[in-house]
Amino acid sequence: MKLNRRAFLATTTAASATLGAPALLRAQPTEYVFGASLPLTGPFATAGQLVAPAFGLAQRLINEEGGIAGTPIRFVTEDSGYIPANALANYQRALATEGDAMVAYFGDSTGFMKLVAPELIGDQARLMGSTSFASELANPEVNPYQYLAGPTYEDQFDILLRNIKDEGGSTVAFIFSNTEFGRDPLEHGKRRADELGIEVVLEEATRAQGADIPTHVTKLAQSGAEYCILQGYVTGVWPQLIGGARQFGLPTKFMGTFWGMEKIIADRVTAEAGPFLDGYRGVMPYRYSYDLENAPRYQTFAAISKEMFAGTPLEHYMPTWTIQTMCAIELAITALRMTAEKDLPLTAENTAESLSGISDFDMGGYFGGPITMDNNKIGTGRVYQYATDSGLFTPTSDWFTV
Amino acid sequence: MINGNLKATYAADERMVDNRYKQFFVYGMAVLCALMPFAANNYIILVAAQMGIMLIAVVGVNVVIGYTGLLSLGHAAFLAIGAYSIPILHGAMGTLGLPEGIMPFLAIPGAVLISALLGIIVGLPSLRVKGLYLAVATLSANFIVIFLIELKAVSPWTGGVQGINTPDANLLGWELDTQREMFALIAAMAFVTILAVQNLFRTRVGRAFIAIRERDYSAEILGISLLRYKLMSFAISAACCGLAGALFAYFYARILPEQFELALSLQLVAALIVGGMGRIMGPIFGVIIIVTVPEALKFSFGMVAGGSADVAAFRAPLQEIVFGLLIILFLMFEPLGITQIVDRGFRAINRWPFARG
Repeated sequence: MKLNRRAFLATTTAASATLGAPALLRAQPTEYVFGASLPLTGPFATAGQLVAPAFGLAQRLINEEGGIAGTPIRFVTEDSGYIPANALANYQRALATEGDAMVAYFGDSTGFMKLVAPELIGDQARLMGSTSFASELANPEVNPYQYLAGPTYEDQFDILLRNIKDEGGSTVAFIFSNTEFGRDPLEHGKRRADELGIEVVLEEATRAQGADIPTHVTKLAQSGAEYCILQGYVTGVWPQLIGGARQFGLPTKFMGTFWGMEKIIADRVTAEAGPFLDGYRGVMPYRYSYDLENAPRYQTFAAISKEMFAGTPLEHYMPTWTIQTMCAIELAITALRMTAEKDLPLTAENTAESLSGISDFDMGGYFGGPITMDNNKIGTGRVYQYATDSGLFTPTSDWFTV
Repeated sequence: MINGNLKATYAADERMVDNRYKQFFVYGMAVLCALMPFAANNYIILVAAQMGIMLIAVVGVNVVIGYTGLLSLGHAAFLAIGAYSIPILHGAMGTLGLPEGIMPFLAIPGAVLISALLGIIVGLPSLRVKGLYLAVATLSANFIVIFLIELKAVSPWTGGVQGINTPDANLLGWELDTQREMFALIAAMAFVTILAVQNLFRTRVGRAFIAIRERDYSAEILGISLLRYKLMSFAISAACCGLAGALFAYFYARILPEQFELALSLQLVAALIVGGMGRIMGPIFGVIIIVTVPEALKFSFGMVAGGSADVAAFRAPLQEIVFGLLIILFLMFEPLGITQIVDRGFRAINRWPFARG
């Protein structure tokens, strides 16, 4: 056959189309992947093991709702041991094995988020939520792909201080773990207290685990603080501090931030050591899972949990830590769906833009009302109080927006 | 050692890479490291770079524990000092207006020197105590250094508990701003460090270290100054760790105090014990095991069991148990480390069919 120009063009076009088709097909994966690092071993294994079931629930729920524009999503989780370098290795392993199919990632710590932030460039970047509420992360100019599924620790201090002011309080003590987590909101807290006319009478750093309780309680007693805000603890130290203060006969009102507000821990402490946590308060960005009124999303969780987690503590109660993870996942999924609706590729840049465009959005009951992503965070929360007889945290303030 | 290698000349006997197995390994690794930046994916590069940094540190630990016989559990402190020296020295040089392209050439030796000086201070107790007592004394160095780094008074330079962003290495205009480029530098430095330390033990100084390890009183009677050589051993060891720390700082975009805590010191010693103390291949085998086995376990368990969180919640502790068991088995069946196992294998190959090893 004689090959003229027209035949050559037709042949090469057909060949290109045939050879190029698989590449096009590769660009549309059969499933998307949502990677995650969790502290399933190590110092925060309790939290990691409680959060882990959320991913199974999220995968089922999201895929039943049509995944992302009809494409299902699969969650891939790996243990970090709460070591930032391990979590970074997990992230890069997931990038290498899942490639473009991985469209979002969930990190396990502030340390990891800071370590990975400079690596999120070009095709190495993914939309990234985490367990962290570190103030430094809520900065889209520096960390465009990282977001917070709630208020920063600084915002949480703001809410608590405003609540103290509303109650007519005039002195406060800050007791915090000597970690990045513990120190995060201190400077802001001092400035804010000064603005509100509240005197910070004590700043006391403790060890994150195994703190010297009598010494810290004595210092608290000497300070004469009406209120004490505890920051930077998860399962330990904060209950012992409160217990120690009550044994000492201190009337100080204790308050905590998100990670010190878990009902499971408060219930366990009450069962093992007595009702001294009665009246303990703190800021919570989300509603508790038993607050089902006008919360269709929570009602769905409750129905699925009853089936998926039958016979476990999660059957009737979703821990706040799990709620935070679910919220972070749902925010990412919302951004991914918004991007897919615009027919844009699910790159970190496109999804981050969609995420920052979330405005006046109804999350189905996580928060007090519709939310807006402002500086890649959601600056809302309210104060809850624990009652040992009911074993419930109940709201004592309206929703604050900061 | 591997026997059965014919050396017909003094020159052959003096060669550092003196048999074909070593040649194959060393040249093979050199070729592999040279090709990796072009061929490997980012994850492989990350793991390889982590191995390179750790290798340099473990080579340093080997000098003081393996060759000089002084047990130290505080070497993460030297890594921390090396790492934190980098942003501090870059900041100081920036104030002086030095061009960025020459900063690493001053900052890396600076970090090594500062670590070596700290090594001399930490090594002082070795003149009075040894064994477990020395281990406890050096252990305190780790806590003290981390405490000092986290102090609020020095946080403008160290970032305190919040950590500090680190600069990229800029070698005369070549900015090593990707992990791939940094790997090339790490691999080169790892080769240089291993060769330098291997060579050290062919000198009077290295032999003095070994004499101290075998029996320090006898060494002193032979005229070896314990004060000088023990401190020198600590200084060289700390210098290697300082170099590892400096590369760590350039490799990661941010350093946090929690990355240099006791767990790292223990990991360095564990790598040395598993690999084999007092042998140049010990750190290499040890680091390969300590870094790659957990990764391989994660990968293989993930392949078999899947990546879902429910499964991960069970397999994560299981991986830790399997890794711990592997280490125990190594120590039970070959306390002299993997180097000894490999040596035995090569001896058997050399002597075959006349003997089995």
